[in-house]
Amino acid sequence: MPNDALLDLTISELAPRIESGEVSPVELTEAALARAERLQPKLNSWITLLPERALERARTAEADILRGGYRGPLHGIPIGIKDNIATAGIRTTVGSLVLSDNVPDEDARVVTLCEEAGAIMMGKENLEEFAAGATSNNPHYGAVHNPWGLDHIPGGSSGGGGANVAAGVTFASLGTDLGGSVRLPATFCGVVGLKQTFGRVSQRGLLVTSFNGDHIGPMTRSVRDSALVLQALAGYDPLDPSTVPVPVPDYLEGLDSDLSGLTAGVPSNYFFDEVDGEVETAVRNAIAALQELGVKVREVGLPSMEYVGALRAASLADGIVTHEPMLRSDREKYGPNVIYRTLAGQFVLGSDYSRAMKVQRLIKEEYARVLQGVDFLVTPTAPVPAPRIDAVDIDVNGETHRVRGPGSGFISRNTSPMNGNGLPAISVPCGFSGDGLPIGVQFVGRPFEEGLLFRVAAGYEDVSPTKGIRPDV
Amino acid sequence: MPISKETMRAIIRDYRGIELSDDELDLVRPEVDSYIEAMAGLSGLNLSDVMSSRLLRAAEGGSDDAE
Repeated sequence: MPNDALLDLTISELAPRIESGEVSPVELTEAALARAERLQPKLNSWITLLPERALERARTAEADILRGGYRGPLHGIPIGIKDNIATAGIRTTVGSLVLSDNVPDEDARVVTLCEEAGAIMMGKENLEEFAAGATSNNPHYGAVHNPWGLDHIPGGSSGGGGANVAAGVTFASLGTDLGGSVRLPATFCGVVGLKQTFGRVSQRGLLVTSFNGDHIGPMTRSVRDSALVLQALAGYDPLDPSTVPVPVPDYLEGLDSDLSGLTAGVPSNYFFDEVDGEVETAVRNAIAALQELGVKVREVGLPSMEYVGALRAASLADGIVTHEPMLRSDREKYGPNVIYRTLAGQFVLGSDYSRAMKVQRLIKEEYARVLQGVDFLVTPTAPVPAPRIDAVDIDVNGETHRVRGPGSGFISRNTSPMNGNGLPAISVPCGFSGDGLPIGVQFVGRPFEEGLLFRVAAGYEDVSPTKGIRPDV
Repeated sequence: MPISKETMRAIIRDYRGIELSDDELDLVRPEVDSYIEAMAGLSGLNLSDVMSSRLLRAAEGGSDDAE
């Protein structure tokens, strides 16, 4: 098989070949770097590419494997890291000009874990400025383009990672998800995106702009690969008090079990209320496919979603506290979309912050109750397929919604609730729009039940109409 | 009800906020309006007996001190 063709495989397909010596991590990394350089002018998915470092690490991985030191399925696999995750000695811009020369002293915990597992970091991926938006239309490092339609956004804020995984540049990319920033690039780029339970993966080394909703999670080309990456990342970090000391199971165990006997909950309110027709059809078809796989389907009500917008008060207030020192010293270096969303935070009342926290509790309680009666929830990941890069507003069912900047948030309306309630959620491709843009379905599970979520997602992935279809870029 | 520019200016002045010109106040307005509207939607919702959503964190050494 030509080396370039290897890039279209998944991690789980490649790993045994790397372990046996059939595939060389050096040749694989050279091929990935060549594709990255070929596609960078089209996708603009990288802020910093690290070819020499990657090749050096690949040579070490290859030597280790030949000596019998195979570490597991990520060993020798080229991956990308979003540029808001700290990398020692490598600039970490967070997509901003303010931090354009920021070179951390230490790796984020997840970077350490990936490198200990033998993964090859190819570089730092482009994102929305300060990860604060859903477009990845970065005013300083340029817009990231969607491999399925270069005039369209890849979603954000982890757009570089979504584009790279979809285009076969990386086999996995680590993104961050504060309102959907892993799952939205996943749905718009036709890949798998996981936001695991809050507390399952360390956030240490991530520039966190809100205190109780950010997550570092993987984008991959298959559900099995998502499970493999989470296996490497999951676990308690004594230096990150937001992590929880819950044992990490074997996420591959039961992945191939059939789905009969499970019950899916389909929300009767909110999640399908403001959804594009093509998206709704694709997701309803996915629900029908689950039924054919033996899943019982039940409608569930989530009335507290009426109040979910109140959580924005907390993230606004958190954001201004995070940004205040930089806003006072380097205000002119901010792009207009982020600065004016952020500055709104200084008008949030303390009592409203408290109300937001109490609403968050109500929502958590309601999901906990509903998930006693069903095993998982099914929703559209995003209400629309990827908007155009130059779109300021989009129309859905006669309503106009902002895509970026102050007052935006429509694109993340179905993903951000799971940042508030902390539940695990995964986006899996389930169809295409008439324009050939991917559509994703979101499965939501109970806390720390990522294993069940992987089982459902893998079962559906196997019958999805998108199976085996890749972008021609 | 929308918050007035005068109130926004007073908050910035009296609470050591970050200065905004008149034009910039207009630019933050959609986000502020969105927040005000969301909070207005809570009227009629009794939150007085709702527990905090914050995680408890046990102090090292086994103390029951929590936040």
